[in-house]
Amino acid sequence: MDNFYIAATTTSPEVDLRFDQHALSLKGESYPENAAAFYAPVIEQMRKYLAEHAGAVVTIDVALTYFNSSSTKMLFSMFDALDQAAQSGSRVLMNWYHDEEDETIAEFGEELKADFRAIEFTDRLIAHPGR
Amino acid sequence: MGEVVKLQLEVAGVSGPTRRKLFSSFVELSQNIVHYSSNALLQGSEDEGAIREGAVCISKDGEHHVMLCVNPMATAEVESLRNKLEPLRNMSLEEIRQAYKLSLRSDTPEDSKGAGLGFLTMARDASAPLEFAFHPRADEPGTTLFCLMAII
Repeated sequence: MDNFYIAATTTSPEVDLRFDQHALSLKGESYPENAAAFYAPVIEQMRKYLAEHAGAVVTIDVALTYFNSSSTKMLFSMFDALDQAAQSGSRVLMNWYHDEEDETIAEFGEELKADFRAIEFTDRLIAHPGR
Repeated sequence: MGEVVKLQLEVAGVSGPTRRKLFSSFVELSQNIVHYSSNALLQGSEDEGAIREGAVCISKDGEHHVMLCVNPMATAEVESLRNKLEPLRNMSLEEIRQAYKLSLRSDTPEDSKGAGLGFLTMARDASAPLEFAFHPRADEPGTTLFCLMAII
């Protein structure tokens, strides 16, 4: 299936799903006015890919510096799809990037770890850009 | 709008973590207005968002920042909103965190365009319980002004 790409805007992240390389990435800030509408096609493509590539080793880099409450909800269901794939034979390696000062995002990472046990998480600290 | 707020806070020398909390509350409040304010200046459609009326004000009060939001809403929906907000006032930070976790994993309420998580997100970042008030409009009983204050 074709790769899927959405460029970043001020309120939505860059979505780079390189299915041919089994490399997925979300990067930027996420507070679109309608998070459900923004994420629905992303999740749909991801589910389709996961279904077609059972047993793959998938890497997902998540480097979101801010997400609002409705994006949070959508991210949770995206990661749920990845967790299900990991439970049925794929390997999902998630790199969770967060600023060392940002407790909210670190805590959300902990929530994910607790809920999605089949995903292999790696915490990646981003050194704080010079103050 | 969001970018302007971010820049203002940065220029004002507000610390990183506080800046993030203020920005987060600002986004939740302004999206509340966009989604729920009863006074639609422009009706939304499939591809064009609605424009609705409301105001958000951020000020500094000693150590803290005060975020104030006002928007008109349908008087008929006041009780349901009050029932969402009132319990938050009596919850400890730990209870708010637990409620947040629960809400994250539950299905989106039917009357919600967002995640139902917005108020919990704000309550979690605030340093005092959220204050709110409802002022029915004398000249228009069907409309009530909803005011919300978060101290961060």
